[in-house]
Amino acid sequence: MNLDKLIEITKSEVITKSDNINDFNIEYAGASDLMSDFLAFSKENMFLITGLTSPQTITTAAVIGAKGIIFVRGKNISENIKNIANDLDITILKTNLSMYVACSILQKNGLKDAMGTDEGLL
Amino acid sequence: MIDPHNDVDKLVNTLSKVFSNTSIENIMSSPPIVVTEETKIKYAKEVMRIKGISGMPVIKRNLKLAGIISIEDIIKVFEKGNLEERVDKWMTKNVTYLQTNDTIMKFLELNDTKRYGRYPVCNDSGKVVGVVTKLDILEWMFKKLGYIYVHDDRRYKALNKQFVSSITGEEVNRENSDYKFKVDYESVEMIGLGATKLKKFLLEKNVEPDLVRKISISTYEGEANIVIHSNSPGCIYCWIKEDHIKVFLEDQGKGIEDIETALTEGYSTAPENVREKGFGAGMGLPNMKRFSDRMTLISSLNKGVKLEMLFYLNKKGDK
Repeated sequence: MNLDKLIEITKSEVITKSDNINDFNIEYAGASDLMSDFLAFSKENMFLITGLTSPQTITTAAVIGAKGIIFVRGKNISENIKNIANDLDITILKTNLSMYVACSILQKNGLKDAMGTDEGLL
Repeated sequence: MIDPHNDVDKLVNTLSKVFSNTSIENIMSSPPIVVTEETKIKYAKEVMRIKGISGMPVIKRNLKLAGIISIEDIIKVFEKGNLEERVDKWMTKNVTYLQTNDTIMKFLELNDTKRYGRYPVCNDSGKVVGVVTKLDILEWMFKKLGYIYVHDDRRYKALNKQFVSSITGEEVNRENSDYKFKVDYESVEMIGLGATKLKKFLLEKNVEPDLVRKISISTYEGEANIVIHSNSPGCIYCWIKEDHIKVFLEDQGKGIEDIETALTEGYSTAPENVREKGFGAGMGLPNMKRFSDRMTLISSLNKGVKLEMLFYLNKKGDK
């Protein structure tokens, strides 16, 4: 799935955009408000779905090599966070959907679980 | 200096208890280097020289164990025999061997009573399928351990003077590190800055991206720990060596009293304001242990924490 499709189906607004993200094929996602979860069970190039809008979300995304973050529940995103995301080359989207609905839409549209717990299901 | 036999035996004994249920099949070298009974001594000697081994099982035509031939036997041939003679004339018969489903415990028992250097390993039908030596056991254990955990009197010495790596044995020289970052411990908001900067630095140095990822995740966890728990100035150091990358983190904070519990997944003492930021799930140390090839953690109450992690370069067959 490309970024435009992701934005369309999650009714997202683009907050920051990293280089070359338009050409990137998004395959994996994971959802949590616990940064430790992402650090423990992550896949490179994944998208994070979270309601936690702190600078740590961006730095966590950067160290695990995630491509981007979808902030759910219409959270406010500070200038500081935008600056860090630009600096670390992380794409940020923001949606008014809840985490539950955002996840459900993405899974229905074929994004795979970064933790791999979807293998063998369906 | 040291008595190698004694030291190796002690080490094998200590470590083996941890893995006492592991079967020999998982540890042995297989397929084994063997010779058949009718092989001439001069050829057996060449096999040992080329393969760099000091002994090997002798097998019958049906692959069953006939004996074992070692350097000592060959020396005897030189003294009073003829290199054209067959191996079965000089080999040791009635060999002590292990079965594939024997455990390390069995090896230990034999090691206590027999003290041979190597044991052939036979399967259910008596065929020789491997060889196991003390070195095999040691190598396997070190791979398995993945980290070394120091939690006894040694830590007091280590904490009060120059830190000597318990992994590589070298002193940590903070002055010559390739990367250094002072952690701002007063701001939860700043967690991750040191790790992301280290990531950039390593990528600029052309370190392989998969490895950079492991290193930056582990460092991130360590950095978070300094801010969350130590409430003291901390520092991240990194050295790029020929065959490994070393990350060393230290603080002067309240330290860890019970390291074993701290290493348990899910155990955390993080305060509420930190948990709100998505930390304190009790995965920090377990994660570092998982992503690093070797980890040493030295700490005690009110003495700060010193954490060393090694990441090997060019490791094949890595996950």
